[in-house]
Amino acid sequence: MSHPAIGQEDFHKFREFFYRKTGILFEDSKRYFVDKRLIERMEATGSDSFRSYFTMLRFQASSEELQALTNAMTVNETYFFRESYQFDCLVNSLLDEVVATKPPKKPVRIWSLPCSTGEEPYSIVIYLLEHWAKLDRFDVEIFASDIDTQVLQAAAKGVFSPRSVQHLPAALLRKYFTRLANGNYKIDEQVSDSIDFSRVNLLDPLDTRHFRDIDVVFCRNLLIYFDDTSRRAAAEIFYNAMSPGGFICLGHSESMSRISDLFRVRKFKDAIVYQKPL
Amino acid sequence: MKSILIIDDASTVRLYHRSLLEEAGFHVDEAVNGIEGVEKALSRTYDLFVVDVNMPKMDGYAFLREIRRRKEIHQSPAVMVSTEAEEKDRQRAFAAGANFYLVKPTKPNELLEVAALMTGGRA
Amino acid sequence: MPLRKTRAEDLPQAGSQAALSADEAIALLGGPDAAGRQAAARRLAGNAAAAEALCARFAVETDIPTREAIAVALMRTQSAVTVERLLPFLSSEDAALRNTVIEILQALPAEVAPHMERLLDHPDSDVRIFAVNVLEALRHPKVEEWLIAVVSADRHPNVVATALDLLGEVGTEAAIPALSRIAARFADEPFLKFAAGNAMKRIGAGS
Repeated sequence: MSHPAIGQEDFHKFREFFYRKTGILFEDSKRYFVDKRLIERMEATGSDSFRSYFTMLRFQASSEELQALTNAMTVNETYFFRESYQFDCLVNSLLDEVVATKPPKKPVRIWSLPCSTGEEPYSIVIYLLEHWAKLDRFDVEIFASDIDTQVLQAAAKGVFSPRSVQHLPAALLRKYFTRLANGNYKIDEQVSDSIDFSRVNLLDPLDTRHFRDIDVVFCRNLLIYFDDTSRRAAAEIFYNAMSPGGFICLGHSESMSRISDLFRVRKFKDAIVYQKPL
Repeated sequence: MKSILIIDDASTVRLYHRSLLEEAGFHVDEAVNGIEGVEKALSRTYDLFVVDVNMPKMDGYAFLREIRRRKEIHQSPAVMVSTEAEEKDRQRAFAAGANFYLVKPTKPNELLEVAALMTGGRA
Repeated sequence: MPLRKTRAEDLPQAGSQAALSADEAIALLGGPDAAGRQAAARRLAGNAAAAEALCARFAVETDIPTREAIAVALMRTQSAVTVERLLPFLSSEDAALRNTVIEILQALPAEVAPHMERLLDHPDSDVRIFAVNVLEALRHPKVEEWLIAVVSADRHPNVVATALDLLGEVGTEAAIPALSRIAARFADEPFLKFAAGNAMKRIGAGS
């Protein structure tokens, strides 16, 4: 027997459900991509028809399968300068707004979560050093957190594969990295020493209570994997940790419209981001 | 081609209105609530908003108030589509920034006539 | 060096964020300081004994972020008390409050289920629509049965329309007879005919 078939109406039914849940809308042209991943997940879960799979997906109390499927539908790979339009937005727009209302001597605080193996917070540091002219006038504190202690150890070590640094301009690679004998790249200690790495479970108030007056949060490709209640709780925790007027950047396929109404949508030249009202 | 943004949490309503409007020659985008509506309205210019009332996160009234106070959003007309037929609901919609009011379930002709009227002619 | 490494755990904490006992948190929930009330709500999430106090505050809370913190705490607390206290707000004129109540109820399927038949029979058609909205996220074996009852018997086109929307997603062959009667029951409503047809198409899929 060949694998279970997915009909046109099944695709439409799934597409509407997935759009409502995640904000990701698959056009008809993505049909092959979607079917392929649905069939993979149907096989992995032993579902003999789209109907039985969809029922499980929709009614499973733990939302586990929805998370697994979302994972399959989204490419989640971390590398330097990933979704760099948001870093452009940071240095071109967000930070200037932040410092315009900041009392003198108060540091600018940026929080990257989940930071995974460090590519995101290190990209932020490089962007600040390279592209934010006001850096010498303000103190900037960068926090990077993840729930997984193994990735945190790797992040602090700062050694990266050629694949991970492939989107960096060659000049920046030379400037901030040392090429190791095994072909990997080690980031300059001045960069790695400027970041505080910490283990944080976003939904544990004891872990997040230290984070106050954060001006910019990068929380990309995390909340999309949470269930409805957890992502809403997470947004509330970020809101609380942020300073008034602070910004939060989500992943390119994530939208606050599925999560929380606490934030204001702001459009800048480089990106749409969410702002805690002033 | 004139473009219309439909903001409604019910997928069947979006599908119905979309198919009517597309057949009449409009380009149609959709949003599931007011927040997504604001995001889309910030990202491109629409000639008309077709706005449901009750939606999670940001309802139709809040959406209208939000787009009406934002200079960066093109101030196109908005049709509020509501389950309520009372005068006070109508007045509330106009106060929030609606330009036209339709009662659900909508009739195909009503929606198409309003869309043509509000966008200054056929698509 | 303008990039300054600071350890997160060395950051000074606001007083209200310090570890609170449940009793202290309940007392703080009625206090004048919004940040304090939010911290109290966060502390009380998951504590069923505090549901009564959280609901009482939710009913009168006007600060939006605090209302949100309490809503999240109630969603994270499986309590039948929450459902009993919040159901009356489905008739509220305050749309934002009502919509938040719908979302809280959606997070509490087991606790809402015993009330569902009564809600779907409510004299106010708006409440019946909101009840169907609650069903949308409800993970409960009787969801389809309730929806079939609505599309078979409810006379209000917008209540039926809301149920049809959901039946297209969760319905099975069991819903087909009720769906095929819609066009005749609502002969003057082209939208309902469309919605019923669409639901039948979706249900027919994959069978």
